[in-house]
Amino acid sequence: MADYRDDFIIAIRYALLKKGAKQKFSLFFLILLSLSIITLDKFSFPFMNGVRGVLNDFVYRVSVVSSQPEVFRKFIFKKTSQHYNVTKENKFLKKEIEYLKKQKFNNTFLLSENQILKKTLDLSEVNNFEQNFSIFAKVMLDQRSPFLKSILINKGTRDKVEKGMTVFNKEYLLGSVIETNYLSSRVLLLTDLNSKIPVIIEKTNVHAILEGTGNKKKLYLNYLPENYEMKSDQIIFTSGKDGFLKAGIPVAKTYLNKKNKILVKLLGDPGQALIVNVTNGQIK
Amino acid sequence: MRFLNIIKEKIFRSLPIIFLYFFSFYHFQLAEVGKINFFSFNFQMILIYFYILKFPEELGFGNIFLAGIINDTVLGTPLGSTSLSYLTLSFFTTYIRNVTLRPAMTAEWFTFIPALFFSNFVYLIIINNFSNVKFYYIELLQNTFFTFLFFPIFYYIFSQYQKLIFKD
Repeated sequence: MADYRDDFIIAIRYALLKKGAKQKFSLFFLILLSLSIITLDKFSFPFMNGVRGVLNDFVYRVSVVSSQPEVFRKFIFKKTSQHYNVTKENKFLKKEIEYLKKQKFNNTFLLSENQILKKTLDLSEVNNFEQNFSIFAKVMLDQRSPFLKSILINKGTRDKVEKGMTVFNKEYLLGSVIETNYLSSRVLLLTDLNSKIPVIIEKTNVHAILEGTGNKKKLYLNYLPENYEMKSDQIIFTSGKDGFLKAGIPVAKTYLNKKNKILVKLLGDPGQALIVNVTNGQIK
Repeated sequence: MRFLNIIKEKIFRSLPIIFLYFFSFYHFQLAEVGKINFFSFNFQMILIYFYILKFPEELGFGNIFLAGIINDTVLGTPLGSTSLSYLTLSFFTTYIRNVTLRPAMTAEWFTFIPALFFSNFVYLIIINNFSNVKFYYIELLQNTFFTFLFFPIFYYIFSQYQKLIFKD
């Protein structure tokens, strides 16, 4: 029994401390080094932020280069499928233009009616949305991490991008900035588990919290009223209750899936985002 | 000619390290090819387990540590967590190598289960205690399962590669 225990300890010690011809460091030393880095990173010592910033900028740039073959493959695939879809889309768009022309006249009428009604109710059109910062950024990387659904953009503190800024893609909310470096930033997408925003459902007075699940076609609405049943094709807007996001930004949409279940999907497609707009959309 | 051969051998010898760094910088997923978000697996873990077990002289612990740091930077996880996870895997693998008398592929495949378990366990503990990041447990479980499942395929590929390169 004692021999067996000795053998076990010897094997463990050998594995931890042995340095071979090509092994310049022992496992024990590297494990200690990893633990020190984790601790330093956890307590965010001032010098660690600088080190992390430089490391991030360098690694992100190299990461962009190493992802180019995959970017090229995606580009070819996208262009090919676009080519086949263009005729189909053209027919559909022609029909839609006809429909929109009719709608335009209708909307002009509704707009003027709305203004008259607002004047009657004495509701002035105060735009409480302050957006004194707006910058376009290119998506450098879209990493499919099992832990963070995030994208990396090519603007950082050099371009005055700050933590917490909101990011849009084609007028749809995409997420918010969670990490800034000198030349790059990380954007946490709405699809991420950690993303939670207050929303309101179209044509109702129902407020909820929109949470990410990792899947853009399967978002989760939390804190809905009891016995509330969702309907399909309803747009979900930001409610502005967090005091941070402007109210009325379209975020998601309810839809009926193949199994006749009503689910919530994101309006914007983070996977297709190439150029995003970073703003400080805060309420005054 | 001799010089060219030396360069060629250096490159072929460094290929596992190149792959380790490449996949740390860029997370290619099989899922993206087939639009099936299911078959993702951790290539780095298979590579580390195989090379530490069979050809430890080809893959240094220092490289594994650095690849882990890069992986953390790219994914945005706490710095050092992946390194520690990879080093735990390396430690477990070195232990298995030391206590194995007669190596067999099946035995090595099954010892990959506890090795994966311990390295992922360390990773989970660090993510849970050192960051506010929430986990996609199912994805991690699927990823681990397919990492284990695809091991024999890569075992064969790596073995054949090593035989081909170092036949003389």
